[in-house]
Amino acid sequence: MSHVSARSRWKAVALVGAVSIGLAACGGSGGGGSSDGGSSGGSGGPALSIGASLPLTGDFSEPGSAAKQGYEVWQSIVNAKGGLLGRQVKLVIKDDASNQNTIVSDYNALIAQDKVDLVLGTFSSLLNLPASAVAEKNRMLYVEPAGGSPKMFNRGYKYLFFAQQATADKQGLTFAKWVTELPEAQRPKTAAYPTLDDPFAAPNVEGIRKVLEAAGISTVYQTTYAIDTKNFDSIVAAMKAKSPDVVVHGATFEDGVGLTRAMLKSGWTPGMFYETSAPSFADQYVKAVGEPNTEGVMYAVSYSPEADTPGNADFVAKYKEMFGSDVPPEDAADAFAAAEVMAAAVEAVGSIEDQSKLADWLRANKVDTILGPLSWDETGAPTGEFLIGQWQKGKAEVVLPAGAATAEPAVGWHPGS
Amino acid sequence: MSAAEGGVARVRDAAGILWVGRGIAVVAGLLLVAFPLLSDDQYYQNMVILSLVFAVAATGLSIITGLTGYVSLGQGAFVGLGGYTVGVLATHHPDTSVWVWVPVAGLVAAAVALALGLVSLRTRGPAFVIITVAFLFLVQVVAINWRSVSGGTEGLSLPLPTWSADIANWPFYYSLVGLLALQLLLSWWIRRTKLGTGLVAIREDETKAATIGVNLPVEKMIAFVASTVLVGMAGGVYGYYLTFIDPRGMFNILLSVETMLALLVGGKATLWGPVLGAFIVEPLNEYTNNNLGGGNARLLLFGGLLVVIVLFLPQGVLPAVESLLTRLRTRGRAGLVGARIGTGGGISSLTGHLSLVDRPTGEASPPPLLEVKDLRKSFGGLRAVDGVHLTVPEGSITGLIGPNGSGKTTLFNLIDDTIRADSGEIWLGGERIDGLPSWSRAHRGLGRTFQITRLFREMTVLENVVAAQRSFSWGQLGRIAVSGAEARAAEELLEYVGMRAFRDQRANDLSYGQQKLVELAQVLMLDPRLILLDEPAGGINPVLIDRMSEMIRELNSYGKTFLIVEHNMPFVLGLCDPVHVLGHGRTMASGTPDEVQADPAVLDAYLGEDFVPEPRDPVAPENPSMGEEVRRP
Amino acid sequence: MSELVQTLALSLLVGGIYALVASGLTLIFGVMRVINIAHGAFLILGSFLTYTLWDALGLDPLLGVLVTTPVVFALGWAVYRLFVRPIRDAPMSSTVLLTFGLALVTEGVMGSVWGNDSTAIRPSYVNSSFHLGSVFLPEAQVYGGVVAAVVLVGFWVLLTRTWLGRAIRAAATNPASAELVGIKVTSVAALVFGLGLAAAGAGGSIIGVLYPFVPGSHYLWISRLLAIVVLGGLGSLEGAVLAALVFGVAETVTAVYVSPAWATAVPYVIVFAVLLVRPQGLLGTRLRDDAVAA
Repeated sequence: MSHVSARSRWKAVALVGAVSIGLAACGGSGGGGSSDGGSSGGSGGPALSIGASLPLTGDFSEPGSAAKQGYEVWQSIVNAKGGLLGRQVKLVIKDDASNQNTIVSDYNALIAQDKVDLVLGTFSSLLNLPASAVAEKNRMLYVEPAGGSPKMFNRGYKYLFFAQQATADKQGLTFAKWVTELPEAQRPKTAAYPTLDDPFAAPNVEGIRKVLEAAGISTVYQTTYAIDTKNFDSIVAAMKAKSPDVVVHGATFEDGVGLTRAMLKSGWTPGMFYETSAPSFADQYVKAVGEPNTEGVMYAVSYSPEADTPGNADFVAKYKEMFGSDVPPEDAADAFAAAEVMAAAVEAVGSIEDQSKLADWLRANKVDTILGPLSWDETGAPTGEFLIGQWQKGKAEVVLPAGAATAEPAVGWHPGS
Repeated sequence: MSAAEGGVARVRDAAGILWVGRGIAVVAGLLLVAFPLLSDDQYYQNMVILSLVFAVAATGLSIITGLTGYVSLGQGAFVGLGGYTVGVLATHHPDTSVWVWVPVAGLVAAAVALALGLVSLRTRGPAFVIITVAFLFLVQVVAINWRSVSGGTEGLSLPLPTWSADIANWPFYYSLVGLLALQLLLSWWIRRTKLGTGLVAIREDETKAATIGVNLPVEKMIAFVASTVLVGMAGGVYGYYLTFIDPRGMFNILLSVETMLALLVGGKATLWGPVLGAFIVEPLNEYTNNNLGGGNARLLLFGGLLVVIVLFLPQGVLPAVESLLTRLRTRGRAGLVGARIGTGGGISSLTGHLSLVDRPTGEASPPPLLEVKDLRKSFGGLRAVDGVHLTVPEGSITGLIGPNGSGKTTLFNLIDDTIRADSGEIWLGGERIDGLPSWSRAHRGLGRTFQITRLFREMTVLENVVAAQRSFSWGQLGRIAVSGAEARAAEELLEYVGMRAFRDQRANDLSYGQQKLVELAQVLMLDPRLILLDEPAGGINPVLIDRMSEMIRELNSYGKTFLIVEHNMPFVLGLCDPVHVLGHGRTMASGTPDEVQADPAVLDAYLGEDFVPEPRDPVAPENPSMGEEVRRP
Repeated sequence: MSELVQTLALSLLVGGIYALVASGLTLIFGVMRVINIAHGAFLILGSFLTYTLWDALGLDPLLGVLVTTPVVFALGWAVYRLFVRPIRDAPMSSTVLLTFGLALVTEGVMGSVWGNDSTAIRPSYVNSSFHLGSVFLPEAQVYGGVVAAVVLVGFWVLLTRTWLGRAIRAAATNPASAELVGIKVTSVAALVFGLGLAAAGAGGSIIGVLYPFVPGSHYLWISRLLAIVVLGGLGSLEGAVLAALVFGVAETVTAVYVSPAWATAVPYVIVFAVLLVRPQGLLGTRLRDDAVAA
């Protein structure tokens, strides 16, 4: 570190030179941020800064904003408890506009310019893929709250960890198993699989389809649509023609709502409906599709506000205090859990100088989070079992697996009831 | 001050500014090279690396957009294609060094540019802009859906760099510096060649460019490929640097917008402007993102800059500074426009550049050089040319007269393919040329001036003349135009027409008569066998009219054949033999001046009522010229 | 068979709304040779205005047309006076860049004012449909289609049956002569720009009810609209209407019978194909500016 600061004068000279001469007309613009000299020093000293860049605008702004809330709640709780390593925690959050060049710039800026002590991950695999590479190059621990694409973990990274129970391809398996084990009369015979072309949603649906097909449930409709698809009437018209017993929909938020509304409009709804992401958006989801229409919708979820996990009650209370809602969105909880995971490693190792030690510790230990206990394999992929939620009487319940369930799973989607 | 002295002073000023500029460029270049050695700040290295990517992309773009005038919003697609090429190949060959694929990325970008160019360069103006945007989005959709190769929306992860983390960014940084240097060298070289003047000619007036022998599709295609090949390589480096590529990131329209902005901010027709622009826009982008709140602020910045530049600084920063400096330094000095036209040089000095033959006088019946048979062209219901037959004997000065609207200029347009004829035949020197494009006709010895002069307004007088391409060959395109043999030939032609003192003036600054002379020199540069002159005596002073007819006679005596449209009857009747008369799109009469004057039909239709018409207003063309921008309300 | 009828019915309903918005874009081009890339952004602006009226005042979104049309008209008038008029002599590609810049600014402003979250307008009838046998026609689409048709007919009457319409056509055909007979070409142009954008604003109200939107949705819309007006023939109102219906069918049929993933490629493929094979589009003059000038 001292090596860097000894050069800071050179750096300033060179920078001012390059910028002012190179830019002639606009010399000051690039140098705007060069004056800060924040440094990490010994313990107990200045605040511990933790950086993250989140998609607060653009395609992923919805979950990105929720993740920001989760980090902020964590900051508030941890500071109230005296901070991390005895130092107060200061979050530095940037907006990457859901754009991968920006996110690379942002994490570079966080590490090199803002000189943060630790980083946290961002939302969506698409953004975590490039962002984690920056952290890896800089040998910094990178715990990400939402980026479950299996591709994340086949790159041989050492500093990357995913703070949910399972990667995307395994998240729907509990649901699929439950379906195949239903009594003959209730078990669907045909299935449709519309999915968003997305590294998170598509593997989730694909994982379910393999299990259901193996159990003899025939696939009558399967399609992948682009992220800017707004018109779901045509997909629904095609599904309606095949009239499948179960629809397994890979979605984020907007398209999840769009397809649901298109089915309601068409007057045809399947007997059973599973959808990724959208139904986990709590209040927003209910507002978007209407409460009566949520009855029986199932979804994969990493978190339940009802869960009896350590710290969850504090989290829910603090979230309500800060953001006014009783039901924190899943993405906020995931972000909170990612921060918990990072903090656990930091407290256990007791130092942040060599972050490979933090990574080693996480590979060897289990961490209790508001999502439940999490543990990881060599690649940083989690080794747990995902939760399955279901909307029952206007309330989001966890129905599977039995151990974590807050209610019994009910068969069927009953919109309008 | 004499014209020559004024010119020298102007040149000296320009050279002074040039040297200051070069000095700044050298210092900035050295700083750029030294920066990673001086500072290991990742943030600024990242900023410079991204700026370098945009600098390469924008400098490349300046060839097709700045030089050639085709505005492309699809430039980002070539960055993305480069990134994808490297990404796909690196994924399939994990044991090979990723750097091996960077040149391949350039080749792929070039190949795609070639294919896209084949289709898109048939359109112009806004249609081209739209098609480049459509191309960008289409490539994105393909990258999303062609999963087996591109990995779909999940994108492709490249291996992390294998070298020491202490110099983690150096290979990316220096390879981009190298690519930028190559791109600048390529742009600089192109501007100095016949290809470069041809491209500027296309930008200024594409139809006219074709008539002086510029092979439009080939030269535009070269420009398109030259503006993408190194950009593709830079995209490859960029993809490797990011270590992850996905369709939404690599083919984001904002990449193209930022490239376009860099070009516009810096100065689109300059060598260094795009580089300057990139190093302004990208740091500004980072600053906005870090300090002003990210996504929305960035949109306001990009959009606002685009609006402001288009409205208030269409030339960009560099040209604005340059013209400001020039204005300051030349304040009070007389311009050249008022200077006198030279007395003209002897034709003997031109023998090296023009094929001049001593024409045997009094040959019985010279063979026809140009033959037009039953040529027709209608505009909607109007039959502008309605079955014209005429011949121009080799070695003659043939006149073409007729009342306004009789189809004279349209006939010229048909002969040189400024407008394609509906039917009929055109033969030049025994070869049928009506199926050939303008430039091929020019290469076969057809030269043509316009009724309203159509010089390339932003080019200097010298550049206007060297822009002519008398044949097509790859070797010729690569020939240096702005100095050496080509420039000497052009200067001698300018000397001949008396315009040598004006060689470094912008054509736009010349008087109308001066433009006529330069246009003649430009056509002579083609060394044509047949020269079509559209009202050479129109709108110029009597002294110049005499000089014009003297030059026509002199060139003719050395073997050049002329076909002249003119309203100035004494001029025509004194100079031309034979004379053809057009009326209502048809040949009404042909013969010697005396015969034509005596023809009762001609007298009735034309000469009788309007024997010596006053020179026509030069700003009211018979037909609106093609390729010009429409004036919008 | 019923699937096909269903598909066609849905695509024609959508096509009617496309027709309304595209007619504004093509009108602007026809009169002033400006390709307004900001058209999609003003459409989304219309959607956001409608959302606010519905959310804050409870105004039915389809009645929002009555507000968005004049508001966006005024905006268009101002945009013309402030931005487009000053560069009327610049090359056409300059106006493309200018309006592109305006689109980005509008997107940024909408993001700052309304946020970047997906916004949806949901009046009571949003989830219900009319059923004709096995075919369903979503109520919102039907109402939206009717409103679009009414506005479109009004537009058409204005352009063909009124003095203003004749003035507009005169200004488009020959600005100089139009001035001679007392038409203030600049005022007419400002009016046309306003009218063209007003069509986008009206369309925005309807589209806001049908699909959720974010500020960035305008890219998708401008791609579609360009494809439609290029297909119809730039400047041709009848062409735009015809092309909008054709386009609606092409998009829906691709989504149903090929794949929704490729449906997004339809506009770009159409732009390519038309500009190459038949630059003048179905019913228009040629877009190549050499031919435009001839």
